[in-house]
Amino acid sequence: MKVNLIWNTNISAVKDYLDNKGLTINYSELEDHIFYMFEIEDVSRVTTHQLIRHRMASYDQESQRFSAASRESFIIPASILSKEEAYKIYNDALRFCVDSFEKLISLGVPKEDARYIMPHAIKTKLVMTVNAKNLKHIADLRTAPQAQWEIRELVSMMRDLAVRATPEIWSNTK
Amino acid sequence: MKTSVLWATPDPEKTIALAMRRCYSTKTLNELVSELESKGPDYWKHLIELAIRDKSFDVIEHFCILVLLEDFGEKEIFSISLKNPFIRFTCLKPKVYLASLNARTLVEMTYQDESKELALSIIKSLKEVGIGNLFISVVFGGMLIEG
Repeated sequence: MKVNLIWNTNISAVKDYLDNKGLTINYSELEDHIFYMFEIEDVSRVTTHQLIRHRMASYDQESQRFSAASRESFIIPASILSKEEAYKIYNDALRFCVDSFEKLISLGVPKEDARYIMPHAIKTKLVMTVNAKNLKHIADLRTAPQAQWEIRELVSMMRDLAVRATPEIWSNTK
Repeated sequence: MKTSVLWATPDPEKTIALAMRRCYSTKTLNELVSELESKGPDYWKHLIELAIRDKSFDVIEHFCILVLLEDFGEKEIFSISLKNPFIRFTCLKPKVYLASLNARTLVEMTYQDESKELALSIIKSLKEVGIGNLFISVVFGGMLIEG
């Protein structure tokens, strides 16, 4: 899993502009107006289905109509990797799906239809733009112990990047 | 009424092009950025034209804009916010608002009677500070001549 912060709103520029005009805004009110754009690579579609349920954000994700699926491009949960028999079942199922996908393509089935057979475990890439208020909300929900391990790891990385870039907005947050 | 741009997405056209290529490519972020930088602004413009032609407005949502609005009425701001759930207003003092929105909302506002004047004023302010000129010429070119 890889997460990059591509850009974020320059808080100093905004605060300086307002100061020069004799206007004040507190950091809590500013949360609506501070944006972050992230690039996320190599997470499963299980996790992106969970992520995009947070609707107050903008997403653009690698389309399976155009990208090629390979045998290496799947997430394997630790609970499966750690049990030999479970791993064999999982691996056999993935292999069957990829083989079937390739056979369908070779029969002239368009990628956009052959992809229906692909499992949610497949790795994907996306960009996401979100403001601080909504990122805090997402972090509250998705870094909680009851969230699933993969989205917890993803959102923790996003939150850590946002904290490092704009500590003043996150100073009251764990 | 006065509109001033405080901040906007850096290199908005390259950012939109990046979002668009993300959908259709398996390349990593670094590979996509290298590709976009080597192909240059004509290529970014081409991608924006394709997005607008196909009504793929999701990619322009990554162009975010933060503006200061002075001498705007409360009722006017209220009616614009009702129509546009993705624009955020904070009242800093009577008649003065901090507003943030993305380029998709800006486009949609140009089609609304109650929002068009503000949208055109934001576009004019962006032009004055030299932000998003390429995007503005592709998306709003005809409208600005008409306006």
